[in-house]
Amino acid sequence: MILVVAEQREGKLNRASWEAVAAGQKLAAKAGGPVKVAVVGGGIDAACAEIAGAAVAEVLAVGSPALESYTADGFVAALAGLLASQAPDYAVFPHTYLARDFVPKLAARLDCPLIADVVALADAGGQPAFTRLIFQGKLAADVVPDGNAPCLVTVQAGAFSADSAERGTAAAPVTRVAAAVEAGAIRQTPEAPFREAKQAVDLSQAARIVAVGRGIREQEKLPLAEELARALGAELAASRPICDAGWLPLERQVGSSGQTVAPKLYLALGISGAIQHAVGMKASKTIVAINKDAEAPIFELADYGIVGDLFEVVPALIKELQR
Amino acid sequence: MLPAAILALLVVVFVSLFAGQVYTRLRLVRRAGGSFDTANAPARASRFLREVVFQTKVIAEKPIVGVAHALVFWGFVAFAGYSASQFLKGLRLIDITGTAAFHLYSLALVPFAVGVIAGILFLLVRRVFLRPEALGPLSGESVLIGGFIATLMITFLLEFFHLVEGPAGAVNWWLHAIIILVFLALIPNSKHFHLVLSPVTVYLKSPVLGDVRNLDFEKEEVGIETVGQLEKKHVLDAFTCVECGRCQMNCPAYATGKLLNPKKLILQNETALLAGTLDAKLVEVYDPGVLWQCTTCGACENQCPVGIEHLPLIIGARRGLVSNGDAPDALGAMYNQLERRGNIWGITSDVRQKFVTSAGLETFDASKHEYLMWLGCAGSYEADFQKSLRSLFDILRARGVTFGVLAKERCTGDPAKRTGNEYMFQELATANIAEFQAAGVKKILTACPHCLKTLGDDYKKFGFEAEVEHSAVLVSRIAGDLGVTGTQDVVLHDPCYLARYAGHTAEPRDLLAKAGAVVKEPVRNEHNPFCCGAGGGLLFEEHEEGTRISQQRFEQLQATGAPTIITACPFCSIMLKGAQASANATTEVVDLMSFVDGRMKSAAAAASPPAARPTPPSAP
Repeated sequence: MILVVAEQREGKLNRASWEAVAAGQKLAAKAGGPVKVAVVGGGIDAACAEIAGAAVAEVLAVGSPALESYTADGFVAALAGLLASQAPDYAVFPHTYLARDFVPKLAARLDCPLIADVVALADAGGQPAFTRLIFQGKLAADVVPDGNAPCLVTVQAGAFSADSAERGTAAAPVTRVAAAVEAGAIRQTPEAPFREAKQAVDLSQAARIVAVGRGIREQEKLPLAEELARALGAELAASRPICDAGWLPLERQVGSSGQTVAPKLYLALGISGAIQHAVGMKASKTIVAINKDAEAPIFELADYGIVGDLFEVVPALIKELQR
Repeated sequence: MLPAAILALLVVVFVSLFAGQVYTRLRLVRRAGGSFDTANAPARASRFLREVVFQTKVIAEKPIVGVAHALVFWGFVAFAGYSASQFLKGLRLIDITGTAAFHLYSLALVPFAVGVIAGILFLLVRRVFLRPEALGPLSGESVLIGGFIATLMITFLLEFFHLVEGPAGAVNWWLHAIIILVFLALIPNSKHFHLVLSPVTVYLKSPVLGDVRNLDFEKEEVGIETVGQLEKKHVLDAFTCVECGRCQMNCPAYATGKLLNPKKLILQNETALLAGTLDAKLVEVYDPGVLWQCTTCGACENQCPVGIEHLPLIIGARRGLVSNGDAPDALGAMYNQLERRGNIWGITSDVRQKFVTSAGLETFDASKHEYLMWLGCAGSYEADFQKSLRSLFDILRARGVTFGVLAKERCTGDPAKRTGNEYMFQELATANIAEFQAAGVKKILTACPHCLKTLGDDYKKFGFEAEVEHSAVLVSRIAGDLGVTGTQDVVLHDPCYLARYAGHTAEPRDLLAKAGAVVKEPVRNEHNPFCCGAGGGLLFEEHEEGTRISQQRFEQLQATGAPTIITACPFCSIMLKGAQASANATTEVVDLMSFVDGRMKSAAAAASPPAARPTPPSAP
């Protein structure tokens, strides 16, 4: 039997779980036996229902109050118990940060083999072998487990396509399994998960950027730059003085204290090109500068420079783009 | 016999109280790591004479307060022999108070006593009624001790002029003696401990501002992380602090509404040391984030009248953070640039090469060139500053100064040193020094005050002893008559690393005068300028708590009414131009060399007949 251990966070199934199911199903085709999926944690009903759509024999919902938040001690205790009672030949995990944290400990606890970061399945004289990359990807090794069952396998993200996981004709039965985890045995104290502050505007992903500087003179003139950005399909950005003045939000600032960008096209309107700005955009593929001051440092960086009044040049550009 | 026995008992009790407290503190100094630096004794002795004996530092910034303090200080010194004699008499050990010499000495003390009374009353009025921000909340103890000092002088005068006789005279004598003893016991645990420690601390203060010793990686030194890792001088500093708040009032971070207060750091050290929490992390002892708010402008350390060195403490604590990977993100990115490209902005070296070629710079050859022209990160990669360097090159060439540049340069390591990335600093420094030595460099010229400090001061610690000069100093010396007529109003912003660190305040003014500038002075100028906000790695962090330092400085300069701000540092220039752009102001910021060169060229153009001028190229 092959047991796939799915991963969820706050009740939401990780997409890599489907990849692990796909790997488990392919492994079952070689090694034989049914595939079961285990989901561990609290508030996992929706995740279980979703994964039950896969062509598997059973979904095991492993719950316990001590598993509400992830801890290595809690997950190892729960899974050690589950693997002992289910006695699978293989247990398949997605190779995620979470798996990297607790699966080696689980293997040590069970004194069983672990083959990590597997990218493909292979054959070794009728026995399944697991392909993993070694020497920084220069060689691929086919690894055959040696030791007590179960063999733990983690699969690299993207190695098995989630879409290739076979769906069942009817939902697989979901069985609740109470995990014997004592809260007192857990030594880690989980904290709220870290979330990186998400920029509402991610200029680093933009292919084209129209950036405005002091040369725009007043806030009322900003729509002109916005119109050019629309015509180009570009994001609007700015240098520090514009954001300092509150004409555009801080998240649109490019430069040493704003975002660092590298679009295919960076159009600088009325930006002098002070170093504090330049360091944020110098990696742009093509830089076009429009500035009245021929001495402005921006022209040192620009691939194309237009010395002129942006209020004459920009409308002409827009007109040309809209033709 | 009874009074002598009582006095002896009191002396034993109060001297023990004093000694016990002193012992606690000296033990903390003794157990601390590091060592006291006593090199360059003449410079230290000279500082001692000026700052302790003649009280110049106390008087210079605040003349009235300073003179009042000096009167009290000199009075204390003068009275030492008097008090000692009176105690010896009281203890029936030896009585010289009846001698003519003692009477003469006492007579000489009368003006001192009057001076002390005048001084202490003024200081008390200031402390109690004027309540300057620098002194913080009113401390009852300070008022009590002020009262003590006044009473000591009054009791002396009453005795000297025989205004009290008989039993009243005895009461007067005992009051005087007991006040001295109580005062003694109060000294170690109050700001008055500076009476004892500051002469030592001032002597031990490095003659060089911002003298931050190199870490020894062989000894696995990583910087200061905990209270227990504070070094001897830091601990001595903590107990010496007189809480006058001059550091606080001169700190640009404090002035712009940030949490950093240099005085508070020192006092937090003192509290933590006395509490014995030696394992406490400094970042937890201090207010959050303050260690990264320091621009290393040096105002605190330079203003301190009792010899405290703030920069080795702040940079030492930054090292402790950096060694644990706790530097702010902006600095992490800058370290990355230094490591990958050898400059603070991570620009590829072809940009420098382009400038070197277009400015016609030769590669340094010791047999042909007097000076190695050190471009620095700004000179190599910052388009605006390169313009001012071109002006400098024109001036130097016109005066026959020979100079060349290195084929390749890497940052001096200033931002790494000041932000506590000592390992990176030493790697950059040793690599640069090896190249200087291979090229036979004896004289270095730089237009960047930060490079000046690093090459000139910090590199000495590696045994590198070239003569390093800032361009403003050299050009002012060789300029001669610039042939400029007419005048123009300007305001000069003194860069911290040129004026406060290197002491060059006269040269840029002299050069400006030669170029026909009428120099207006802003608040905080010459040896005590207000920082532009770029130093100490803050160039890379534009989001400041409170007001931006650069904005405040720009407003101070703008307030002089001069249409042109002159500075002589690429970082000041970047910061002030940024502030100017954000303020959308018409006041322009111009580098010193660009200004001088511009004035010379326009004078030359005006002098030559129009026909001789080259015709401008026709538009393409």
